[in-house]
Amino acid sequence: MRDELKTALDKVTADEALKQSTRAFLARQTHEYGAAKARPRTARRLAAAFACLALVIVGGTGYWAYFSPTCAISIDINPSVELAVNRFDKVISVEGIGEDGEALAETLDVRFLNYADALDSLLENQTVEDYLAQDEVLSIAVAGDNQGQADAILAQAETCTAGTKNVYCHAADSEELEHAHEAGLSFGKYQAFLILQSLDPSVTPDDVQGLTMREIRDRIAALDPSAAQGLYGEGHGHDNQNSGLGSGNRNGNGTGAGNNSAGVGTGTATGNGSGQGQGMGAGQGNGHGHHSGH
Amino acid sequence: MRSEQEANRAIERYADTVRRICMIHLKNHADTEDIFQNVFLKYVLSTAVFESEEHEKAWFIRVTINACRDLLKSFFRSRTVSLDTLLDQPAELTQTDHTVLEAVLALPPKYRDVVYLHYYEGYTAPQIGQILKKNVNTIYTLLGRAKQALKETLGGDDDA
Repeated sequence: MRDELKTALDKVTADEALKQSTRAFLARQTHEYGAAKARPRTARRLAAAFACLALVIVGGTGYWAYFSPTCAISIDINPSVELAVNRFDKVISVEGIGEDGEALAETLDVRFLNYADALDSLLENQTVEDYLAQDEVLSIAVAGDNQGQADAILAQAETCTAGTKNVYCHAADSEELEHAHEAGLSFGKYQAFLILQSLDPSVTPDDVQGLTMREIRDRIAALDPSAAQGLYGEGHGHDNQNSGLGSGNRNGNGTGAGNNSAGVGTGTATGNGSGQGQGMGAGQGNGHGHHSGH
Repeated sequence: MRSEQEANRAIERYADTVRRICMIHLKNHADTEDIFQNVFLKYVLSTAVFESEEHEKAWFIRVTINACRDLLKSFFRSRTVSLDTLLDQPAELTQTDHTVLEAVLALPPKYRDVVYLHYYEGYTAPQIGQILKKNVNTIYTLLGRAKQALKETLGGDDDA
């Protein structure tokens, strides 16, 4: 049987055509056996893969850079609106807080504008003008992790509103912003709320929600006139109440307010005011003044 | 990667072996061509270093058997086929050759390998075990049963 099998299988051979086609196939597959020729294909594929990867990374980073807010501008009358500003100084989102805030946000078409243009168009907005005409108070608060940008925006906001009555600009920090959102308030309003709460601990965020900035300000003023001044006077370098003379720098919140008649006070960065009266910080910082005025 | 000279030498030397293994497993010429391409491409791309010609031959046998098995695993392949469609040169076969090959092809696939390796290539059971990656005792069993089956179909008894 072994021999028979051997004889039979010996006759089974690969014909020349099969060998030839195999050789041709190998030459095709290996690009004529050229290692050097085979490599460019791999290199080209790798290059293509890297190009795709780079595109995704650049695109992703660009998207992230453009659409991650670095600063927030809170605008409060009673309708509260918050503008998120990215690192390229463009407004990337407009968010209304509360029903009337949302209504106001819808009438504002400031997305993708430079923040300065956005502020201009906001101040020219019919709704806003109407409110201001009714002697409401407009507060602009700027918060951001990037101190340089936040300062620039604040400066710009002050320039924009320089000629307008009842508009106050101030700075905030981003931690405060988070707390404000937790309480369901825009942070401009939240800052005012904190001051009101320090004077009247029974106040809750819900109470403040429905009030206009003017109303909050009036309530603060009713409880402590100098505090109200301290809140809004900050950053303006000096404050006058009655006949008192005070000065405070922007961070210091110090308000040397002559309480009734002739106090002279200065506020420093640490919030210490000297003179007669009290310096009140933006939100939390209380500056206590010494009783050294005349 | 191996050179063209190496590939051509391998084709000259092992084409018949590969062809025979294809014959006992496959059913048509197109499949055989597939196997040839697969096996020799694998050889060209392989970095395996062969200690001897025997080693190289065993490598080819193993790769070919595996390639055939992979091919047969795919669906929609008919299980039977006449010997004539299987061979390119049926005219050269005598009646005896025909009968013997038919008998081998009638065996289940796992017996065909051992029959081919033992009777034609002359490998011992331990060597077959190495090539097929199977236990030696399994090979003995397979060989015994294959022998028995062939004896029944062919009637002859002159095996070794």
